[in-house]
Amino acid sequence: MTHPDDTPAEIVVKRFLYVNRKAPHGTIYALEELEMVLIAAMFEQDVHLAFLDDGVFQIKKNQKPAELALKDFSKTYGALEDYGVEKIYVEKESIEERGLTPDDFIIPTTVLRRDDMSALMESMDVVLTA
Amino acid sequence: MDYVIMVNEGPYNHQASDSAYHFATHALDKGHSIRRIFFYYDGVLNGTKFSAPQSDDRNIVKRWAALAEDHPVDLAICVAAGLRRGITDDSLADGFRITGLGEFIESCIDAERTVVFGD
Amino acid sequence: MYELNGKTINHDEEGYIVNLDDWSEELADKIAKDEELDMTEEHWEVVKFLRDYYQEYQIAPAVRVLTKAVGKRLGQDKGSNKYLYELFPYGPAKQACKIAGLPKPTGCV
Repeated sequence: MTHPDDTPAEIVVKRFLYVNRKAPHGTIYALEELEMVLIAAMFEQDVHLAFLDDGVFQIKKNQKPAELALKDFSKTYGALEDYGVEKIYVEKESIEERGLTPDDFIIPTTVLRRDDMSALMESMDVVLTA
Repeated sequence: MDYVIMVNEGPYNHQASDSAYHFATHALDKGHSIRRIFFYYDGVLNGTKFSAPQSDDRNIVKRWAALAEDHPVDLAICVAAGLRRGITDDSLADGFRITGLGEFIESCIDAERTVVFGD
Repeated sequence: MYELNGKTINHDEEGYIVNLDDWSEELADKIAKDEELDMTEEHWEVVKFLRDYYQEYQIAPAVRVLTKAVGKRLGQDKGSNKYLYELFPYGPAKQACKIAGLPKPTGCV
């Protein structure tokens, strides 16, 4: 694999959006999307994360997946700041439909209405969804 | 247009591999280029050499390999997702290559457009 | 396999222990010796930092992140590649994680 430090001096910076739409456990999408974000964070790109639909549960506080012998990777979202990933959005309608507020989340988030979320997606160069 | 394609679902379990394949063949027919097709999540199973579908069905794995033979398309399997699911050099089908997420991110930066197939 | 006080502890082909619960400070010393490293107070500080980081975030940080986080939490003078590579010549993420009994850091590290 090419190391990101090998990229030429003139770095292209694109707007990346990682869209998380699924509940944290039950399928592997949330975990592998997060693994991708941690790698992507090494590439000096403009990284954004969005949580909508059941994806908002990924960053819910007080998860106890150890009772199902699953790793609690919800803690890993707390390291995103160290990785320089700080543009994190949740969809207002999604959290309201699920009885959540931003206080329920382990990381600071910006709440966007559904049409503003569409506009955010529209403004991206690369949108990776799972 | 210069594309990178991402395939995120298992081959026979889900329509995504078929859709991605049809998109790729038609895009190439129209003169577009596809620099890389990156397989992630269960998509890595598109690259197993142990797939043996019945003879009256499409062979998804070999179909990808044929595409990459006819066109300069890089069939790239994610190493981390592959290790979880038993896709290693020992089980990798001809025409595919195991690589890292970093190369995929680089191709998203370099390509004009990234298209994702999956749920 | 590592042997410690008559007990055997499994590791993968690169020396990372298979069961994270097998870790002890004694084992860390043993792994370090195998890597021809004498554990000083400075080594322990980084190893313990990594274990705390893993405890809190469930990951071993990529090297660039480690350097930054060490600088922030242990002091700016320690948050440099030079300082960390002098302590762990085979890479502060890879080698220190092995000694700390953490999984091998994945991806571009």
